[in-house]
Amino acid sequence: MPPPFVIIGASLTGGTAAATLRQEGFDGDVILIGAEVQPPYERPPLSKQYLRGEAPFEKALVRPAGFYEHNRIETRFSTRATGVDPIERTVTLDTGAHVRYDKLLIATGVRNRRPPIPGLDLPGVFDLRTLSDADALRREMAAGRRAVVVGMGFIGCEVAASLRQKGVDVVSVDPSPAPLFRILGADVGRVLAAVHQDHGVHALFEDVVMRFEGGARVERVITASGRRLDCDFAVVGVGVEPVLDFLAGSGIDTANGILVDEYCRTTFEDVYAAGDVANHYHPVFHKQMRVEHWQNAMQQGAAAARSMLGKEQPYDAIHWFWSDQYDVNLQYAGFHDNWDQIVVRGRLEDRTFVAFYLNQGRIDAVVGINRAKDVRRAMPLIKSRDIVDPRQLADEAIDLRSLAPD
Amino acid sequence: MNTRFVTVARTADIKPGELAAFDVEGVRIAVANANGRFFAIDDTCTHEQCSLTEEGTLDGTVVTCGCHGAQFDVTTGRVLAPPALEPVKSYPLRIEQGAVAIEI
Repeated sequence: MPPPFVIIGASLTGGTAAATLRQEGFDGDVILIGAEVQPPYERPPLSKQYLRGEAPFEKALVRPAGFYEHNRIETRFSTRATGVDPIERTVTLDTGAHVRYDKLLIATGVRNRRPPIPGLDLPGVFDLRTLSDADALRREMAAGRRAVVVGMGFIGCEVAASLRQKGVDVVSVDPSPAPLFRILGADVGRVLAAVHQDHGVHALFEDVVMRFEGGARVERVITASGRRLDCDFAVVGVGVEPVLDFLAGSGIDTANGILVDEYCRTTFEDVYAAGDVANHYHPVFHKQMRVEHWQNAMQQGAAAARSMLGKEQPYDAIHWFWSDQYDVNLQYAGFHDNWDQIVVRGRLEDRTFVAFYLNQGRIDAVVGINRAKDVRRAMPLIKSRDIVDPRQLADEAIDLRSLAPD
Repeated sequence: MNTRFVTVARTADIKPGELAAFDVEGVRIAVANANGRFFAIDDTCTHEQCSLTEEGTLDGTVVTCGCHGAQFDVTTGRVLAPPALEPVKSYPLRIEQGAVAIEI
């Protein structure tokens, strides 16, 4: 009997990978190791429906509670991996145990960045990643209380929206000129800023939090421009970093995540990585990328499982995600970190449009605000890597489907 | 149980690759034209109650919900991709003299 397939990270990626191994007919031993106490769950509701108390936690589970036992998947929750030895083929756990593996999938994801801001550790200063983070934040959310949201990335924007929906007074602080500035750019970002302002967020841009002040708990936030923002609690969402420390000395190559090819293979045989932690080669874009999307977490977990079984197929999905804020449904498809042209289909001021982010005439990514159909229809255009005519993209009379290659 | 067929549209009104929604006795039902074959399912996604017709896209016999990407097989209502976990209800449908009728 060979050693088991081991999955580190009982997350959407890890849970999906374990389930996929069984779906694909693997009947060997599978061990799923996770740092959190819960079975794998999905994180999107933690800033939205679950945070607002509109959906129970059980709705977020990747598989029903009894699934793992029923499918002979051994689970070790509340357990961290502290080391990997890809020569000896062992994983070391924080319990001191060594687990041998035949094949290993690393799906440890990301952790929230903790910038060195004085007072960050004061009670009442929260961040959001886990169920317990969401539970702690929920206890603070009462109408009329005052919150400062630090960082208007996706987490900051969604938390600000949920807080407003529960009647919490919200001031947000972000160093950029607009929310999600690095992804959206100034013009599209300003649309989202206006959405938050219309819903009562006092949104401050181009300012930086210098410290959190208070006695037993946070009482105010001090910014670089000298603002003193009195608050009852604060939520910090200033980015993430991949969880890699336990790989130090393993020899597994890392650079902004674990480097993997389009089959989720690391630089060591029989060691795979997927999800937020995987800096993966994308065969459509011909470059490495690391993303933190729900759909990637799920689909790449499944792809890695198939690779572990020798059924590998290039993982070439066009990345896609959504963000719900108030009545705005934002969707993103593709991958971009810069652009030389933005083409807008629809009118920004109507808050229903899709923006195409182009480089050298090719669409790298699209962002839709309340325009799901056009986002979906743009995905084949992204995948084709064809040069497109910006005038056709902007022309609402032209169905995007007619521009796609056959 | 009494069921009957209710005529909701002419086949010519729903183009291939399109969905159209109809209120049939208080239920919002989507009719899909999957390249000439017609199918009827609930229009409301079981994930977050979005309308499959208003924001969804139809590709062959697969409808993708516009809000969060859940996919259903329009021929059966079966879930093909999460985040939806529950199927949408599927309704018997018949075409007579160019009219689409749904059994309810």
